[in-house]
Amino acid sequence: MLAPGGILMVLVIVIPVALALYISLVDLDQYTLRQWISAPFIGLQNYVEAATASPMFHAVGISVSFALIVEVITLPVGVAAALAAQNRFRGRAFVRSVFLIPYVLPAFVVGTVWRTMLQPNGVVNNLLDVVGIDGGLWLNGPQSYWALIAVQAWSSWPFFYLLVLSGLQSVDNEVHEAAAIDGAGWWTKLRYVIFPYLRGPVALALIISFLHNINSFTLPFVLFGVPAPTDVEVLPVLTYIASFQSFRFGLSAAMAVFSLVLIAIPLAIYLRAVKLDTGDEGPKR
Amino acid sequence: MKARKVLGVVAGAAILGLALQGCSSDGSSGGSSPEAVDGTGKTLNVLIAANTLYPTEQKAWFDDVSAKFEKETGAKVAFETFASANDELTKIQTSVLSGQGPDVYSLGTTFTPTAYSTGAFVKLGDKQWDQVGGRDRFVPATLGIAGPDKDNEIAVPLSSRPFVLAYNTELLAAAGIDKPADSWDGLAEQAKQLTTGDQYGMAVAYADSFDPWKFIWGMSLQAGNPLVDDGKATLDDATTAAAYEAYFGWVTKDKIVDPASVGWKNAQAVAAFADGKAAFLPMTSATSRVTLDQSAVAGKYAYALLPLIPPGETKAPGDSIEAATIISGDNIVVANYSKNQDLAFALINMLTTPEQQKIYFDTFGEMPTNAEEAEAIQGDNELLAPIVDAAAKAVGTPFTGAWGDIQLALVNVVVQSIPALQSGSISDSEIESQIKTAQDAAQASLDRVK
Repeated sequence: MLAPGGILMVLVIVIPVALALYISLVDLDQYTLRQWISAPFIGLQNYVEAATASPMFHAVGISVSFALIVEVITLPVGVAAALAAQNRFRGRAFVRSVFLIPYVLPAFVVGTVWRTMLQPNGVVNNLLDVVGIDGGLWLNGPQSYWALIAVQAWSSWPFFYLLVLSGLQSVDNEVHEAAAIDGAGWWTKLRYVIFPYLRGPVALALIISFLHNINSFTLPFVLFGVPAPTDVEVLPVLTYIASFQSFRFGLSAAMAVFSLVLIAIPLAIYLRAVKLDTGDEGPKR
Repeated sequence: MKARKVLGVVAGAAILGLALQGCSSDGSSGGSSPEAVDGTGKTLNVLIAANTLYPTEQKAWFDDVSAKFEKETGAKVAFETFASANDELTKIQTSVLSGQGPDVYSLGTTFTPTAYSTGAFVKLGDKQWDQVGGRDRFVPATLGIAGPDKDNEIAVPLSSRPFVLAYNTELLAAAGIDKPADSWDGLAEQAKQLTTGDQYGMAVAYADSFDPWKFIWGMSLQAGNPLVDDGKATLDDATTAAAYEAYFGWVTKDKIVDPASVGWKNAQAVAAFADGKAAFLPMTSATSRVTLDQSAVAGKYAYALLPLIPPGETKAPGDSIEAATIISGDNIVVANYSKNQDLAFALINMLTTPEQQKIYFDTFGEMPTNAEEAEAIQGDNELLAPIVDAAAKAVGTPFTGAWGDIQLALVNVVVQSIPALQSGSISDSEIESQIKTAQDAAQASLDRVK
């Protein structure tokens, strides 16, 4: 019974990870690519180089902080949108569809359009001029970090909205009635009655969104290009440059394995913590 | 991505599934006419750049070439395209790794050293050169990036896209300037005269991923610095610093470029020139003709060689390398794993005949590498004569597997300097520290060459 799933897992996960581990231990570059199986074994040299002579830690810092900030911004927006679109009102179907637009647009479309808008003489700076603010440079320099966060938040908040909306559907009607009978105000009801139901979906959304944003390659690549300005040198772009532009597969595999371990640790802790909470399906009676 | 993978599998299956017919050509016949190759029933797979300016014409050209080749040898040609330089690199990597893929690759010239370093392409000996009509058939300068030296060549030049300067004849005439200066300082002076109101002297794309390094390369070589000298990177030489200072100075000191150009890609610089908002458009190629002929400056522009005298000099120093442009264009190579090598060389022979080169030029506007055809165009076409001239004065970028990294390092100096440029000034020490980073990266990459 486990066999089909097991086979799939081996093929899709175990073998590629094993290959990545192998590649990270050999000196694989453009000169040895042809006979890659006999590429010279150099042990942990790639890891040492990744840790000491490459911008890897800087990239990890940027990726992680960027993912966390985007989450902090998009969570309240998504929850508010879900609450707003939950009850029936005229045009709800239309509103629900419009809410999804940023999420369903392909990442490179989002990136290309925003890159045009964020040009020094683009739409964003022209609008800011009207209000008297000098927008400055968005696609390079210190502001580029905030531009990346803003564009990613813009395109990914519907994800929270979707998960929270589905969580809201699972709230029993009796609970709403009970709260109404007991005379709970809207904020009290929200905080003590509804939110406990959302713990599960929100936790899931936080984990998935964090992973997705850390691995986000298309958006930074299209917005800022290669080589990336140092302020937005995120880990996926750095790995891409190392492997596909510099042909240094061993080094980039080491970076990838390093980042896998780095992310797996807090993730494991977080998953463990979340499991303890989802024993409850709602507020204790 | 999926479609390309499927195509790759199909191509691989096609190659594997075909039995080898006895190919008749072997042994050099001495003269420049190769023996006929029989490829009945076979398909030759070619990877070539997608032409974004002429997509429908390119499709028609594919069909045309396949039909002609079938008439000549009985084999069809199946074309596969890549959309960008990044795709091209990825395709080469996957094919080299798996040992199967297209028989023939059309590579950008600056990628030829990287391809060479994988060791996956056929070296051109006397036999192969005879099969493609002999070395004398080609414009000599275009052969400069066929390999590290004459005995180790892998690439046959297919088309040429040399870089030149475009200028607005009307604006220059109005300012009383006869023709563009032949020194970078002189050009900057002329551009200052031509900067008034919202019209700027030059249109330069500082945020492009490819344009910036060509300026620095050109200026460095003209000052006598080849950037790579016998396995050592010489980016930290004073000549390179002078090149960056001049390049950045157009924004910060001379103010002859639009301040918004720190965010421009090449297309935006061309658009500014096409709107008549800039007098000079340096580092452009003949492909800009398409845009310019349909724009406000149609009939009012001309091409000229880029300046040959480096910044800070009034005449070329003694050890100057007369680099008008990089050797730019497409080279064509044959994969080692290909089972149809003779057929591949027959195709290359066909594509580099004067007739085919003329068709290619008429369809896509790319300069021929066939010497006969190049001479014909230089005679006929006044607009393009400077471009043919530039091709003859082209100098190859260093032939080393590390060049990809060196190029990236040169562009990186510009990318990391853009915030300073935008704020209005950049100090010499900032430029120096960025160049140091580039020098270290370049040297590290050269040290890894095997």
